Amino acid sequence: MHGGVLGHNIATLDGSPASSPTITIRQLLRFGALYAVPFLALDANVVLALLIASLVGVYLKFAPDCRAPWDHLAGTRVISGFPSNAKLELADVHTAADLRLDTKRLGDERRARRLLLGVGLFSVLASGLIVWVIFREAAEFVLADEFSWSVLTGIGWFPRRGIFDLSTLFIGTLWITGIAMTVAGPVGLGVAIYLSEYASPRVRRYLKPLVETLASIPSVVIGLFAISFISPKVLQPIFGDLGIFSLLAAGLGVGVLTVPIVASISEDAMRAVPQELREASYGLGSRKVTTALRVVFPAALSGISAAFIVGISRAIGETMVVFIAAGGSGGAIFETDPTQPGQAITAAMASLGAGTDSVAGSGIAFQSLYFLGALLFVITLVMNVVSDRIVGRFRQVY
Amino acid sequence: MALPPIPAPVSADLRRRRGADLKGQLFQALLWLSLGIAVAMVGAVLWSVSADGWSLISERLWSFLRNPSSATPDNAGVVQGIRGSFILAGIVAATFPLGIGAAVYLEELADDGRLTRLIRVTVRNLAGVPSIVYGLLGLAVFVKSLGGLTGGSSIISAGLTLGVLVFPVVVITASEAIRAVPQSIRDASYGLGATQWETICHQVIPAALPGILTGIVLSISRALGEAAPLLVIGAAPFYSTGFNDFFEQLQGAFTALPMNVASFARLPADTWAGHAAAASLVLLVVIFAINLVAMVIRSRITKKLGR
Repeated sequence: MHGGVLGHNIATLDGSPASSPTITIRQLLRFGALYAVPFLALDANVVLALLIASLVGVYLKFAPDCRAPWDHLAGTRVISGFPSNAKLELADVHTAADLRLDTKRLGDERRARRLLLGVGLFSVLASGLIVWVIFREAAEFVLADEFSWSVLTGIGWFPRRGIFDLSTLFIGTLWITGIAMTVAGPVGLGVAIYLSEYASPRVRRYLKPLVETLASIPSVVIGLFAISFISPKVLQPIFGDLGIFSLLAAGLGVGVLTVPIVASISEDAMRAVPQELREASYGLGSRKVTTALRVVFPAALSGISAAFIVGISRAIGETMVVFIAAGGSGGAIFETDPTQPGQAITAAMASLGAGTDSVAGSGIAFQSLYFLGALLFVITLVMNVVSDRIVGRFRQVY
Repeated sequence: MALPPIPAPVSADLRRRRGADLKGQLFQALLWLSLGIAVAMVGAVLWSVSADGWSLISERLWSFLRNPSSATPDNAGVVQGIRGSFILAGIVAATFPLGIGAAVYLEELADDGRLTRLIRVTVRNLAGVPSIVYGLLGLAVFVKSLGGLTGGSSIISAGLTLGVLVFPVVVITASEAIRAVPQSIRDASYGLGATQWETICHQVIPAALPGILTGIVLSISRALGEAAPLLVIGAAPFYSTGFNDFFEQLQGAFTALPMNVASFARLPADTWAGHAAAASLVLLVVIFAINLVAMVIRSRITKKLGR
């Protein structure tokens, strides 16, 4: 078996005993490198099954012994390989720890521990699969015969005609994210400051679920809202000759979706500011507005900027609103005017995905879906890591 | 030593002069404005969808709910979408033990090693990956690689993809629920000689169950609203094959309520706008009903715990 052999290798290469409690990053990397070879050589189908089986297998082998908190205190140790034919004399049972030497219960314990560790590793597996799958297919796009770097520039985004002008999509995504954050930034922040600093607990109890309702509305419904309300009833009276489908309408729709995200993360950040700071500020005679803006806001600034970054990353990743309301199905001409129809990264992917059957035959058009996916993944990953760092720093303050 | 006399304007006096606090009032007005905009957004969405969908709903609600989608506006309905969404919810629910197990591992069993940190980081990052990227994962893994098992672009592929999509959400909410269980409950269980696994099974999980359930219910409602991954996996706007049995249905063409909304919304608005809005209304009713269940569960816990 693959898993067994590999597990053995890892154990002996490191010289560590088979019951080593955790796996180091180095071992994990070696594991990945070993598997990259058959992955490239064999059909992904077979390797996928093997990968899952052996990942679970390897970690079952290294699952740590079962220990309860008092075991550390008392220095007792539960023996992992307790022989099943061992006899327990009643006289041996002195403490709770002795009771736990019952082999059946110990077996359950070990099995459960291994199972849960395997399950926990599912997240690592899912992340690994996303990266692997997307970048492999994206590489296929770049390495295809029809591909040359010149197809990435042109008059617009027309995958079926072999024109993959990325700047068209970047402009679209930039406009949509910019418009969305222009709406969601101030509104979300205002709602957060009100709910955290001004609202009485009673008011807060009713208002917060109302704002959260916005978060539970599916994005297709907001997309429909953008073309049936925002365009005809809000934008056309202002701009006059505006079509139903435009980047502006899509951006405002995404803004509606982003408000609750910015609001709830910023509110959490401001409520995490210790009450003492506010009391000290009041004690010095500050007004409420001074306390909110000069004391609470700066103290929560890192959390609030994390909220903005998460909001931006959601706006970049939002698909259905742009797909429905930006009007760029099939393709889009390079366009810098937000009152015109356009196309964003996500919506271009959705269009490709929706037309999968008709696109499949036409060369590298379908592979471009993964190329865009890889771009999107990298952009949002960087933003998430940055916001994670910021929140981490913000937690250390208090 | 005697204290010096307190100067006349103490802080309370300063703060009592409301009339002078122009900046404060302006600021509060701004806050009210932004809150008003947010509430108006909720109102406008709900009003616009109900107003547009009302004529169709009042005219033929029953046939709209019972008919499959069709090229003729008078016959088109969403029954395939409703059926699809229900099956999707079932498949997503079947993947929940994975997320709960991971949460139990992270909160109860894991030491503070590198592996644990790796798991935590990947869970957090997975939560931030756009939903359409999960669609790509589903397309490559469930539709293409495991196509023999799932039947390609089928509802099983879609359900499993949504299951992966909500996995980080389930892990995070379940972790919070487990962390909220008082340590004394665990200590008492250990004190009676229970093993760690027995403690988890019989004490920690039951105590955290209401919180876990709330997270589960909210993840289901999130999964039901997703359209982007389904689009990539290959959900049909509607399909015309009749299925002989349940398993055939699981492996054949499929659609879901958000797909109905999206496909109606992309048809010419003069004849189909009402359909899109009515389908949205059905979707919103389903999702709000699910959220209501979550709220009831949450309020029951808070009452039970006497908080």
